[in-house]
Amino acid sequence: MPGVNTSSLPDIVFMLLFFFMVATTSKENDPTVKVESPVGTKTTELTPYKQRSEVDFLYLGKPRNPMRAADFKMGYALSLDNVVQPTVDGLYTTNVVGQWKRDKFDQKPPRMTAPIESVITCFKADRNAPSGLIFDIRKELQDIKGVGSMTIAYAVRDNGNI
Amino acid sequence: MAKREIEEINAGSMADIAFLLLIFFLVTTTMDKDQAYIRRIPKKVEVSKPVDVEKRNILAIKANNQNQLMVRDMIFEDPNKISDFVLEFYKMNEKKNDPTNNFPMYSRITMSAIDQNIAVIEGEIEQMEEAGMKADIVNFKYNQLDEWEKKKRALKLYGDNELPEIHVQANIRVEVQQATAYSIFAKMQTEIEEAIFELRNGECERLFGMPYSVLKRRYDQDKKAEDQAMMDLLEILYPARIIEVTPKK
Repeated sequence: MPGVNTSSLPDIVFMLLFFFMVATTSKENDPTVKVESPVGTKTTELTPYKQRSEVDFLYLGKPRNPMRAADFKMGYALSLDNVVQPTVDGLYTTNVVGQWKRDKFDQKPPRMTAPIESVITCFKADRNAPSGLIFDIRKELQDIKGVGSMTIAYAVRDNGNI
Repeated sequence: MAKREIEEINAGSMADIAFLLLIFFLVTTTMDKDQAYIRRIPKKVEVSKPVDVEKRNILAIKANNQNQLMVRDMIFEDPNKISDFVLEFYKMNEKKNDPTNNFPMYSRITMSAIDQNIAVIEGEIEQMEEAGMKADIVNFKYNQLDEWEKKKRALKLYGDNELPEIHVQANIRVEVQQATAYSIFAKMQTEIEEAIFELRNGECERLFGMPYSVLKRRYDQDKKAEDQAMMDLLEILYPARIIEVTPKK
């Protein structure tokens, strides 16, 4: 019995490879805090905003290192670009979230011309995270000087058919 | 010198390399998209006295530190019921105003009333520009004019004599406490979003014969003016005015 001709196997595999290469969106960062999003429906998809780099993610969850949990208000920490921020209690003397937003905005590529107000701040919070912390951060965003009203987003896991 | 035959490169391991790459991308791919509820947060404004809002215009959805729920001073267990309360809030007086119940009133505006308002505002703008008023005040008037033009287009699409509109102050309040779990907060947002979707979907089916999700997707893709007008109409009929109240310390 003659063997099956496998010379087109690489072509098939390459096709698959290209599909996955195109479909992949690599995770921007692996947050230093554990985040398990709650579920929800009727959400808005953030992909178009992401493609225009018009969304900043902030993570709110328990630190991966359990030894550090005691340092934070109610055991939950805020992670901005993989840097766990010191306790949010009483908030900072300087506006950390505002500073982070400004720095990120200044580093945006020049092709991105949208104003800072159009950059969405997306909360990725753990399902058990206290809502008080979200409002603390929300207040910081409200208080950024010289900036109009901001847009925020509450991330959830949408299991509905898209 | 004798011509040496060039040996062909053995491509047998090509498949292996491609497989390795394939497996790498298979493993690193995350297909889940980022889904979220988008909200605008207003800037702080200093007001000497807060505006009084009638109780009937407020739908307060509250959750406390123990994650117990309350809507309009009624305690209940099942979070899936929130959307029913939201539906009730919008629908109660929609067909006919009943002053005896505790729900927001609807106003019904006719085309001639809209035209009148537009004429008045246009006149005001003309006067202001002649008097050389500050630009932001004039812009404010222009925004008002836009709102009325939007309503005019909406009423034309609605095809009725009058455009029903919920009271301008009618709002949904999400009130949580410091330790309320984020999942409860997100659930409240989900329920509100579901109720508003259901209302708009119902009208969309009735008026345009298609689901609201289809209209929304089509608008997101093509950004056509006619779809925009349809979306505006549905938003005027069922506006989503959600206020998130900052919890007390």
